[in-house]
This record gives sequence, structure tokens and C-alpha cells, in this order.
Amino acid sequence: MSLLGRMLKRTLLFSYCLICLGAVHSVNAAENSSQTVRIKIGTILANNQGDEIDPKLNTIKNQLKVMKYRSYRLLKEETQNVAWQGNAVFEIPGGRSLVVTPQEFRNKQLALKVRLQHGDKPVVDTTVRLNNGGNFLLGGPPHEGGALVLSISATAQ
Amino acid sequence: MESSDWELVQKCQAGKIDAFQELVSRYHQKIYTVIVGLLRNREDALEVAQETFFRAYRKIKSFQGGSSFYTWLYRIAVNIAIDSQRRQKRNPLDFRETMDGLFEEQNEVAKDPFSDVHDRELREKLVSAINDLTPEHKAVIILRTVEGLSYKDIGEILGCSEGTVMSRLHYARKKLQQKLSVFL
Amino acid sequence: MREDCERTRESLSRWVDGHLSVSDAEAIRLHLGGCAACDRERRQLEKLEFSLKSVLVSDVPRIDFEPFWAGVRERITKKPRRREAIMEWARSTFTPPALAWTVPAVIVVLLGVLSMDSFWRSGWQRNNFAAVESIDAHGRNIALLREDETKTTVIWLYQNQEGEDESSGENAETNPSF
Repeated sequence: MSLLGRMLKRTLLFSYCLICLGAVHSVNAAENSSQTVRIKIGTILANNQGDEIDPKLNTIKNQLKVMKYRSYRLLKEETQNVAWQGNAVFEIPGGRSLVVTPQEFRNKQLALKVRLQHGDKPVVDTTVRLNNGGNFLLGGPPHEGGALVLSISATAQ
Repeated sequence: MESSDWELVQKCQAGKIDAFQELVSRYHQKIYTVIVGLLRNREDALEVAQETFFRAYRKIKSFQGGSSFYTWLYRIAVNIAIDSQRRQKRNPLDFRETMDGLFEEQNEVAKDPFSDVHDRELREKLVSAINDLTPEHKAVIILRTVEGLSYKDIGEILGCSEGTVMSRLHYARKKLQQKLSVFL
Repeated sequence: MREDCERTRESLSRWVDGHLSVSDAEAIRLHLGGCAACDRERRQLEKLEFSLKSVLVSDVPRIDFEPFWAGVRERITKKPRRREAIMEWARSTFTPPALAWTVPAVIVVLLGVLSMDSFWRSGWQRNNFAAVESIDAHGRNIALLREDETKTTVIWLYQNQEGEDESSGENAETNPSF
């Protein structure tokens, strides 16, 4: 067989193997999505009383820029594993709580139902669709002369 | 006692050019004969034969003794000759002129005029038939006929199996027989 | 043609080369003794071999060693031009067997990388996009923002005028300007 013929044959063979691997990976990914979700909440105090960004917030420093506060401090970080449709409840400073309920995993994105409440009173209910492993920010509740910013991230296990 | 090829190769690998000279003296005629068979042109064959030994010298350190030195050398020669053949744009008629010149140089005198004409015609037809073979088929015919190499050695030189050598030989001989049936 | 004639003619090439087993060679010899057609084929093949040797071996002139070696030595000692050295390196590296494996592997790896979603949203441009499908702020004012660089979604709750319990120590100036 000529050199070109051999190259073509091997390209087709490797492509076929790649497609099979991709198919197996997709099936596994779909199967994995039916287990648990890891929810991580970072509670951040934002104010203008200083000029520092907590080094622990380096990974999301760029995300916080949009809020134009001069100082950001990580108050606490908490992680919980929860089953699909199950509720993960997080205590938030100021008598508040955050309830996160993972709904579904589709097209590599998770849908989360999130409720922030103050005591028993709901403050905000929202459903957000985010990338697996990604996060969004929920901010605004006043606290200690500034405002709380919650970084909510979720990863399907 | 005469040194073996492998002993000479080891000396070359240690940088002794006179050992390489000895190897060249052993194989230069054989290599040249095979290449003339493939290229059908004396000047080109001389050029390719010298290039073969030059490349062998450059690559001598990579020769590990897995095959015999002469099959390794033949492999280099055949590859260069086949590459050259593919680039060659000469008309086979040029060859006939060259070979006719050779005959004149050797002053062939025919004892039997009929046999002389018959032989010349057979040779011309044979050369033309060989030239019509693909480079790979020509190579097996030449290595078998000229050098009497085994199918295994030919396979090593051409990088194919013994079975492939057998089928190429069979095919090449059949083709030549068909073209020369009148003369055989 | 009889079956054993066909088998014989298929094996004649190897018989002439002496590459048959003893028993197979004997079987061919016996057949040739009794089959004129196959024997004629054998004679043709042997004549062909003889003619080939005559053309390919006898007609080739002998070359003198000394001028030949001088030519080889000149090539060895001559410093190759840069272009020739590069060509030589390329010829020895990109051999057909190497190319026959490398080129298909590179093509398929490239196809695999380009087909990955994450390639288009690669590390330095990681898209942290999140879509807000529904939101109920229970009467409060909210703002939905997107940070430019990472495309992070920010949901901002403004303080209710009627008030949360805490009062913020910083009023207008603490409300961030987005």
C-alpha cells in the first residue's frame, strides 16, 4: 500500500477509536450525573473600610471587580454534598440562611434552585443554570457596615 | 585471518576509516551491479553506488548488527535507486543507446550472424520488459537473479515478508515470460 | 488445465530458486517428468533466468576500486552544505514508516482538541456564564450584572426601603456603583 494509503487508513482507524472513546466518556458522564452534587458557598464581606482583598479570594478576585468595593474579606467557606432534588442549607451571617437545591444536569450545565431567607422570610428565590464547576455571585444583604456577597458554586459528582 | 564484516563495522564505529575502505572494496562491485540493473544507466549507477556507501558511512553508528551488513547495505542502495528511478525522466531508448555503446566497446564478434541478431533482439526485448516492471518488482528480480539472495534476505532488504517476495517474483517472471514468449 | 499442473506452475518459481521442501520438490520433479506442457514451462523459466543473468550480470562492466573509493572518500570528507545537511536530517527523521504513523496521529489529535467545547472556552478565556432562568425578589429591587472578563453572573439585591433589620453604616456611598 502506498504511503498516502497507509496514512489514510490509519487516520480513519484512529478517528474511529477517538469517536468510540468519546461515546464511552459521554455515557459515563451521563451516568455520573445521577449521583450527588457538591455545593460550595463562600461568604464574603464587602465594604470600603479598607483597601485589601483577602488573599483567599484570589481565585475570584476578577469576579468581584464589578462591585467596586475597595475591600473584600472571606468570612467563611462551607461545602456540602447533596443528592439531586435534595436541599443543602447554609447558615449565613445576620440570621440568614441559604437553601440550594440542585435540579438537573443537562448539556454539561447544572440547574440550581436557590433561596435566600432572613429567618423564615424569603428574600430572593431564583433558578440559575451554570457550568459544571462554575459559580455565580449573590450579593447585597447588609452586614457590619458593608454588604454580604455569596459565591455559590456547584459540581456534579 | 580476514576480519568479518561485523568486526570491520565495529572498527568503523570507533572511527577507523580504513576499516570502512575494506568494506567498500568487498561490496562496491556487487552494489554497482544491482544498481545498474535497477537504473539501466552506468553513470547514474556509479553516482548512486558512491552515495550508498557515503550514507552507509554516515549511518554506521546506528547499525546494531540485527541483520547482516550486506543486507543493510543493499537496503540503502535499493532505496536510493528506487527514489532515483522515480525521479528519473530518461526514455528507455536512451538505455538502448548506452548498451549498444557497451557492446561496441567490448568488440563483440558474432560467430553465427543469426544467433547474434536473435540475441540482440532478445536482450533489447528483455531490457524493455524489465523496464516495464514496477521498481519493487524489478528489485526482487535483480536481487534474486544477480545476487542469488534468499527470499528472507530480499524481504529484509525491501522491508516486506517472504510471502510478498515470493509473489512479486512469481508475478515479475510471469510478466517477463509473457513478453518474451517468442524468444524463450 | 489439470489441478496438479496449475499447482506445479504456481510452484515452479520457487522450485527454480530451490525454496521448496524436499518432498514438494520431489513431487514437482515427478510431475515434470510426466507432463510435457509443464516441462516446457520449466524450460522457458530456466531460459529466462539464464537470459536475465546474462543481461544483468555479464553485461555490467567491472569498476576500478581506487577511483570509486576516491569518490566515496570525497563525499565523506566534504563538509555538507547547510541545505544538504537539513535535507539529510529530514530524510532520516521523516521516513515513510514514521510519517505513516505520525501524520494520522497528529491529524486525529488536532480533530479531537478542536472538537472539544472546552477548547473554545479555554483557560485564559474561561466562560463562567450562568443563566438566570427565574427570579423572585419578593418586592425588592434587584440588578442582574455580568462581569466582563470571566462572564460571571452577579445578582445584586438592593436594600428594601421598608427595611431589613440591620441598617447599613454606609448608605449611598456603600451602594456599589456598577
